[in-house]
Amino acid sequence: MSNLASRGDLQRWAPLLVLVALIVFFTLVNPNFLSLKNFARISISATPPLMVAIGATFIIIMGSIDLSMEGSVAVCAVIFATLFTALGGTLGGWGWVALPACLIVGAICGLVTGTVHVGLRIPSFMASLSMGFVGIGLSLMMTGGDRIRVEDPLFRSLLTQRFLGFPLMVHVAFAVLLAAWFIQRKTTLGRNFYAVGGGEELAHASGLNVRRVRIAGFALAGVFYAFGALFAVAQLGIAETATGYNFMFVSITSIVVGGTALWGGSGGVWNTLVGVLIVNVINNGMIVMGLPRYVQDGVLGLLVIIAVVLSTDRKSLAFVK
Amino acid sequence: MSFIKDFIEKETLNRRNFLLASAFGITGAAAASIVGAGRAHAAGAIEDPTIAWSYRDRTNPYWNSIVSGGESFVESLGKPKSALVHLINEGSSEKSLADVKALLGKTDGKLALAIDANDSPNARPVVEAVVAKGAFVSTIWNKTDDLHPWDFGDNYVSHMSWSDIGPAEQTATILLKAMGGKGAIVGLGGIASNNPAIERRTGLDNALKNFPDVKLLDYQAADWDTQKANSIMSSYLTRFGDEITGVFCANDTMAYGVLEALRAEGLAGQIPVVAYDGNAQAVDLILAGELLATVSTNPHWGGGITAALAYYAATGAFKPSDEPHEHREFNGPTVLITKADAEEFKKKYIDATPTYDWKDFWGPSAGPITY
Repeated sequence: MSNLASRGDLQRWAPLLVLVALIVFFTLVNPNFLSLKNFARISISATPPLMVAIGATFIIIMGSIDLSMEGSVAVCAVIFATLFTALGGTLGGWGWVALPACLIVGAICGLVTGTVHVGLRIPSFMASLSMGFVGIGLSLMMTGGDRIRVEDPLFRSLLTQRFLGFPLMVHVAFAVLLAAWFIQRKTTLGRNFYAVGGGEELAHASGLNVRRVRIAGFALAGVFYAFGALFAVAQLGIAETATGYNFMFVSITSIVVGGTALWGGSGGVWNTLVGVLIVNVINNGMIVMGLPRYVQDGVLGLLVIIAVVLSTDRKSLAFVK
Repeated sequence: MSFIKDFIEKETLNRRNFLLASAFGITGAAAASIVGAGRAHAAGAIEDPTIAWSYRDRTNPYWNSIVSGGESFVESLGKPKSALVHLINEGSSEKSLADVKALLGKTDGKLALAIDANDSPNARPVVEAVVAKGAFVSTIWNKTDDLHPWDFGDNYVSHMSWSDIGPAEQTATILLKAMGGKGAIVGLGGIASNNPAIERRTGLDNALKNFPDVKLLDYQAADWDTQKANSIMSSYLTRFGDEITGVFCANDTMAYGVLEALRAEGLAGQIPVVAYDGNAQAVDLILAGELLATVSTNPHWGGGITAALAYYAATGAFKPSDEPHEHREFNGPTVLITKADAEEFKKKYIDATPTYDWKDFWGPSAGPITY
């Protein structure tokens, strides 16, 4: 019995151990790696993907998948920047209205994806992938392919101003992470995600409105994608269709590496935080080590497989598809 | 469903022809040119051809400028902007070829096509499809060295490219001089297999030969991508710290990412950075003192003139086969932009779009392509 428990414990903490091992390894190769300045750099590049990955975590806990993030982030970023500029282009004035507006747009994007998935009974994979394409197309239509620059020093202070060595955006993101943890832990909706992911028929038989939970999940994920869009714009000062690119791979990889199982019912936002940090530490560390680019991609793939092997309990699964 | 059957039969035939042509080897190209010349539309036969631009994507300022040039040319003919047909290949050579074939079918060969074939090997099947239908095509950037417009009579009108080695060497030299000829730089390159990425790197290497006291610390591909460049630059800062005294970027969009990584550390404007492409934002950054230099290839003119060449060859305004080789394969213009001329460049090219004579095909060009 104690043997079983320790195995479970190991799996539970495996992602964190992988993260620590990576940090030790990269520090041994280049001592510069272990510095507050570098951790600040890693956390800056990790912040937007973390927001997106938290949103997708809820969906994956439900046993579904959401691949619409690239489109949603692009739409949110472009609408935010357009509105922000139209309202005077500074947080000092009416520009702040664009912030909640962006979150609402994100929720609407998610709501549409969820409704398409549940209402039309299309698998979440296809529904969300397609809605992602729609989002990319929509943002292209709005921008005509151009970039919108957001240069308001007040908004950019999310990147340029530091507190305790970390930019403001990192602190704000941590607050959002705590909110996500609260939703996951303390709200009915959060608990329902686990119920749906753990056994949908059972949840349904217990009187849970599974369809409504699913739609709510997608809308909630959309809000976190909107946070991701805001931080991505704060980080680069540019909003464009390409703002959404690369998020799908990074977020899904991070969630899985963090130990949230793709078949649903387990994991959570702290796992996702560790997963996002693992992926970003690997990316940063490989350049700090000086590995050439073509080796980096291969190493990243291998490390992801190792992390998944260590951190997920596959013994209890009857089959893997 | 008979149209599907027709299509499959047609494609089978096409495939057979392609295999036969491959079997002929080099003579295949010659055979194609004979076939092309024998088709219905010789130069001058098409009264009002459809004008189309086939290119990679719309999220990139460079391709947007190309398109704006194409539209400006279409407007010079008294047509609305929407008369220009857009074929967007999204980085897929297969889609590029399929779109061209579909449009050739729709227009029955009454087509003037301007295209970047996405990658070099794709240029030949595109040109052969166009020639077989008696339409007219002008290409830019990507084609293999053994593919020449003059081997296809009039229908393969022209090819324009840009030699990036010289201009990249110039921007690198400006960077190295700004560093006082000593110190160390890092570099960020484009997608490793892209021609401009290779040429711009060569330009940097050439410049470095003249400055033996400057060390190239590392050169990584950031795939022309702002976000990737941003995270690579911050990792460089960890790895090399204060050692970095200059940054070479192979294009503007990567330089934006680099500058934001520097801004996050309060270093923007303190470490000299050079870029390439001459986009509006890059010119503003030069004026703000954060970017040292960039190079414009005048994509607006390139986009317009490539469509114009195909169009006027199709209408018979000029006969491509009467032109010398340097009018069929030539390099586009490159303009170096530094703080000294940024203001003037902005006034001339960005605030106001210059009006071009779209019949002056070779005026602004920069000489024949040499292999």
